[in-house]
Amino acid sequence: MSEEIMQLKNIKKYFPIRGGVFSRVVGHVKAVDDVSFGIKKGETLGLVGESGCGKSTLGRTILSLVDPTGGEVRYKGKDIFKTEKHELRRLRRELQIIFQDPFSSLNPRLNVGEIVGESLEIHGVASGKEKQERVEYILEVCGLAPHHHRRYPHEFSGGQRQRVGIARALTLNPDFVVADEPISSLDVSIQAQIVNLMEELQEKFDLTYLFISHDLSMVRHISDNVAVMYLGKVVEICNKKELYQNPLHPYTQALLSAVPVMDPDSKSERIILKGDVPSPANPPEGCNFSPRCRYAEDICHRDEPELREIDQGHFVSCHLV
Amino acid sequence: MSELLQVKNLYTKFHTEDGVVPAVNGISFNLKRGESLGIVGESGCGKSVACLSIMRLIGHPGQVNAEIMQLEETDLFSLSEKKMRHIRGNEMAFIFQEPMTSLNPVFTIGFQLQEAIRLHQGLNKQDSQDKSIEMLKIVGIPRAEKVFSEYPHALSGGMRQRAMIAMALSCEPKILFADEPTTALDVTIQAQILELMRDLKERVNTSIVFISHDLGVISEMVDRVIVMYCGMIVEDTNIRTLIKNPKHPYTVGLINSKPRIDVDIDKLNSIPGAVPNPLNMPKGCPYHPRCNQVMDICREKIPEKERINEGHGVTCWLFSEQGGKIKS
Repeated sequence: MSEEIMQLKNIKKYFPIRGGVFSRVVGHVKAVDDVSFGIKKGETLGLVGESGCGKSTLGRTILSLVDPTGGEVRYKGKDIFKTEKHELRRLRRELQIIFQDPFSSLNPRLNVGEIVGESLEIHGVASGKEKQERVEYILEVCGLAPHHHRRYPHEFSGGQRQRVGIARALTLNPDFVVADEPISSLDVSIQAQIVNLMEELQEKFDLTYLFISHDLSMVRHISDNVAVMYLGKVVEICNKKELYQNPLHPYTQALLSAVPVMDPDSKSERIILKGDVPSPANPPEGCNFSPRCRYAEDICHRDEPELREIDQGHFVSCHLV
Repeated sequence: MSELLQVKNLYTKFHTEDGVVPAVNGISFNLKRGESLGIVGESGCGKSVACLSIMRLIGHPGQVNAEIMQLEETDLFSLSEKKMRHIRGNEMAFIFQEPMTSLNPVFTIGFQLQEAIRLHQGLNKQDSQDKSIEMLKIVGIPRAEKVFSEYPHALSGGMRQRAMIAMALSCEPKILFADEPTTALDVTIQAQILELMRDLKERVNTSIVFISHDLGVISEMVDRVIVMYCGMIVEDTNIRTLIKNPKHPYTVGLINSKPRIDVDIDKLNSIPGAVPNPLNMPKGCPYHPRCNQVMDICREKIPEKERINEGHGVTCWLFSEQGGKIKS
């Protein structure tokens, strides 16, 4: 078993809600609430959940792109939240992110060479001809033509733009990449291209991915382990085979059963959840999922369950499992 | 069974500064009463525009042309705008993709629901209010009386989409066009909405035209499917045949490029390249630059629809006599 490159311990991110005349803090949105897990070198951890469950905030908090409220992230043993600013900047070379929307995450005034090569100059890694060579190499690796470096983002299609976004994340040769819904704004036939590219790159550069997505079929395809989030908490985490074949948390079961299957003969039972996700500013008492859970008992409405190891490497946060 | 909707050779063009964009390129299909038809394709393939054209909702600079566009005995194409207004919302209704932007934010849900009911059914204020609240209850909105007087921003995405469905169904239309009604929603909410639509379809016996890019959703909702690419119908058949035995290379590619939740696949099969620019369409079959079975004739001539089986049409040279001859 390889070492854990990332260790998350009790990560919390609360956003204050301000109100009243003096903009006092009147409450908190608990976007990420007490999340702990580890990511091994070279693996892909899929992070799934519905919109607003805090998966993107978690991805950004890990990279220290938003200030955490509490907890610690150990990257190769180093606590990211406690490192000095200049040290953190150095670390950022190894920690990169691919954003969801390739239309708004690329600066329209810079050409692709500048977008992809900017980080090389900022970090003083390469400049001039050397930078040029590196940019052309990375573009080619990501399935673009080297001469594309002179073009501007608007000249590209969605899929090509996402390739630019990936190239930008890879110029500094990172070890760990957060991919925040990298395919959700692309067409189906293009999604497959991008996912295949990401898999090739992972092998080539020995990357570790945190793959954030709401597309459960795609996560099944690309991940080694999968974590399911609901209302700021991880409710289940284990390897993908186990998760898709033997989901234990009632939310995971409902989530998986809700995915439409491309098979007219499929007769799997569908669990229809009642109601909407509660507001993270005002989470329910006890288990967050209890108001929508079909198995909920008294204890679920009273006490908050902890993430326990049920089977080897299979963690579930539910009283009834 | 009589045809409810007949469309033959529908063309929709947009005259832009850069040139003419042929969004819909001569599509033909029929819809029977109570039938549900799916239209699948990627963004920009003309699936939404086709339905908007039938509803006569295409404005300037769009231009619609059709040989036949008939709802039962009524010719939709030559109908006056006044009479068309009577059909729109009453006999044909539309559910839009974005429940966030398709409701008017400055009017209450109740007002927007009542509008159609009063206009088309001539009910008075009290009756139309009762009917609206009843509709909200039918689509499963809790506290319907309260939601009636609330504004759209107070509702979640799933609830807004339910309100849209209530609005569309309030006059019991003969045809319901649902344009990606669940794309903006989470899977668990999507499951709720799909269940609701199936349920309502049984109850009111409406024909549904279901537009989506997601073959999974389509295969759960419809009997028959049309696959569109660049404004053309490339394949049409029943849903079973399409999933189990697709013929057109594009359909095959589309099905194989989607990972499945119930099966493990080693490597996804992707379609190379991207959809061509509609201002600069390739010569011949529009799919040929991306096709893995391309032949010489594909680069020259646009194929015609070929019936390869009862109720199974494919627009591809691989399945036409002329193309087959050249291949052999």
